[in-house]
Amino acid sequence: MSHHLEGSRNSCALHGALQLFESIAGVVPVIHSTSGCGVQHYLGGTRLSGGNDPFGSPAVSSSNIGEKHVVFGGGSRLREQLKNTVKVVQGDLYAIVTGCSTEMVGDDIPAMAKEGLEQDWPVVYANTPGFRGDVHQGYHLAAKTLIEQLPELWKDAEPAPAGLINIWGIIPDQDPFWRGNLDELGRLLEAIGLVPNLLLGGDQGTAAWKRAPGAALNLVVSPWGELPARLLEECYGTPSLSLEGLPVGAAAGILLTRLTEQLGLDPLRTEEFINREQARLQRQFALLADSYYRKGFQREFALVGESSQVVGIGEFLGKSLGLLPRTLVITDNPPEHVREALVNRLTTIVPGYDTELVFSEDRAEIADAIRSGQAGVVLGSSLEQEVAVELGVPFLAVSFPLTNRIVLDRGYAGYRGAVALLEDLGSVILADSLSV
Amino acid sequence: MSEKIGKHIAIYGKGGIGKSTTTSNISAALAESGYRVIQIGCDPKSDSTTILRGGNDLPTVLDTLREQSKVRIEDISAVGFGGVLCIEAGGPVPGVGCAGRGINAAVELLQELKLFDEFKPDFVLYDVLGDVVCGGFAVPIRDGLADRAFVVTSSDFMAIFAANNLFKAVNKYAPSGGARLGGVIANSILAPYAPALIDDFAGKTGSQVIGYVPRSLVVAQSELYGQTVIEAVPQSEQAQVYRNLAKFIDENEETVIPKPLNGPELKKWAREWGDRIFEVEAGVVHEMASI
Ligand SMILES: Nc1ncnc2c1ncn2[C@@H]1O[C@H](COP(=O)(O)OP(=O)(O)OP(=O)(O)O)[C@@H](O)[C@H]1O
Ligand code: SF4
Ligand SMILES: [Mg+2]
Repeated sequence: MSHHLEGSRNSCALHGALQLFESIAGVVPVIHSTSGCGVQHYLGGTRLSGGNDPFGSPAVSSSNIGEKHVVFGGGSRLREQLKNTVKVVQGDLYAIVTGCSTEMVGDDIPAMAKEGLEQDWPVVYANTPGFRGDVHQGYHLAAKTLIEQLPELWKDAEPAPAGLINIWGIIPDQDPFWRGNLDELGRLLEAIGLVPNLLLGGDQGTAAWKRAPGAALNLVVSPWGELPARLLEECYGTPSLSLEGLPVGAAAGILLTRLTEQLGLDPLRTEEFINREQARLQRQFALLADSYYRKGFQREFALVGESSQVVGIGEFLGKSLGLLPRTLVITDNPPEHVREALVNRLTTIVPGYDTELVFSEDRAEIADAIRSGQAGVVLGSSLEQEVAVELGVPFLAVSFPLTNRIVLDRGYAGYRGAVALLEDLGSVILADSLSV
Repeated sequence: MSEKIGKHIAIYGKGGIGKSTTTSNISAALAESGYRVIQIGCDPKSDSTTILRGGNDLPTVLDTLREQSKVRIEDISAVGFGGVLCIEAGGPVPGVGCAGRGINAAVELLQELKLFDEFKPDFVLYDVLGDVVCGGFAVPIRDGLADRAFVVTSSDFMAIFAANNLFKAVNKYAPSGGARLGGVIANSILAPYAPALIDDFAGKTGSQVIGYVPRSLVVAQSELYGQTVIEAVPQSEQAQVYRNLAKFIDENEETVIPKPLNGPELKKWAREWGDRIFEVEAGVVHEMASI
């Protein structure tokens, strides 16, 4: 089972949970672990996701336990840290997350959270030691925490507006374009008369999570959204619609049509919107046409990223832009049951063309796959830049970790994301052709 | 680690089996014959050395470490019967924290304090809590801290089971420089079949029994005085038993890597003994036995 892993891009569960909590306005995470856990979250996580975390982890409250807390238990240290945090930082919700050391020792976290509640502090907790899994598992654990513990906390659930849609499966920072992607999904839903519940982002606070149980539907855009959607379905009977990846370009239209059918919305309104957006996208294609042919845009590509990104971007490039998916690498270790669907879907993007699909999070193995595929352009994380340089082909950073781009509200989902992708990919291909 | 000063011996065994009593009596006997001895209790209960020091209070290493940043040997040791230096590692209250890591931290501190260079012991005895439940409790037999491990057992199956577990730990660590097994100490011998049963287990696992300590009221009486048998009733037969144990440990440095029984083997072995004991108790007379 165990094997050597080089240059992993999947951090630990604690970090995944922090990434979720930090992305909800008003939530104050409190780390109960050794001091390195929080620092590592910044150094190996938020700092490498497009520079979009001005208040990243160094400022996160942490109990920074030492040997004496390991030996005698760290409960009292956490109690003190929680008290100080509540005093210093105003928050709507305090979320305790634990690391490896405190979980090995067996500190009684629920008891500490309960003590907080008894003081009328809004406290939830998630047991998130790194040994429980990677960053994706952390997203699961944090979402589960909120879904299960918030109703206890706020007996007065916020009434949900009709047509509310929760969006699940986008992991902040693990998808460096998470803000832009969520915004665009929100725009699409609004356009057909739905009310998006993005749940994450600077303007999304705890109120969004209070409303979540009353949603009409859970929209799941990666395998990692399945668990929260299932929990809501079990507790509140909310149905869900599962996509394996982000809808990019024409796929957005397909999604909107499905939603319209499933929720009985006005088909005319939806059709009108899709036509308008599709026409706009066509105009952008037309604008690109000259460069496309002159600079030989149509070429084989390698794409490395999380399953939702590879599905979304890969299908758009292959189906709409006429590029050829030579090597596709999925790095998020999707659960066994979705792998088969991913294989079927991704190896047939361009019928008759031979696409190599690899599941790996190992930098060297990924580089080997790209190298042997000899694609004419590489899209991936900054870890793939080296092999692109080696192959002498243009490179676009689209997945985590990302060291050479600032990402504020750019996204690659939906129609607007498709245009952004055309611009970004076109630019690197153009720049490359000028440099030779 | 720098050159080791003194012979380091770890005593293991099931909870309540008599480790502390036996270890303290061995320490007392060694001291009585003129050796410099340190006994270190590696158990959060911190009652290992009670009967060596008349039941007086002794702050534990970890408690002291928790309260003050600078710890001196004087703060965490007491001189007991015959000059035995008594130390209790201590640990968290039951149910919180990690006692295993505590043992680790305490032992590290003792090394930092250069305890052995200062005291120059001939013998260091580690009295280690019950089962080897996690890595922390294996510290004394890991890293070459102790050279020899002894296990205290009675003829109860659970005690044998715990001994077998210790054998597993020794078996694992010995090849990489951990302690080897010095032998088995049979304690609380009462039933007539007990020595044979423990002998048989030792034989099956490639170890040897180095002494049989009878179950005796003298032990309980001495304990009530807060003393070892050696101190309270030096002329007793029981005291002599402990002296013999000490003598053996002093004079025999032979060690083995035991071959623990696996689950099914141990179960089968126990069942066979169960049948034999039942027959003895029920008075079944075998044809063979009657000849
Ligand atoms: N040979 C013996 N005869 C009579 N009583 C004994 C004998 N050995 C030990 N005892 C008694 O058994 C009890 C437990 O002994 P002791 O505290 O030494 O066990 P232990 O293995 O150190 O226990 P723990 O695992 O709790 O540390 C004590 O009251 C002790 O007096
Ligand atoms: S793996 Fe464990 S120790 Fe490392 S950062 Fe994560 S929680 Fe902390
Ligand atoms: Mg004891």
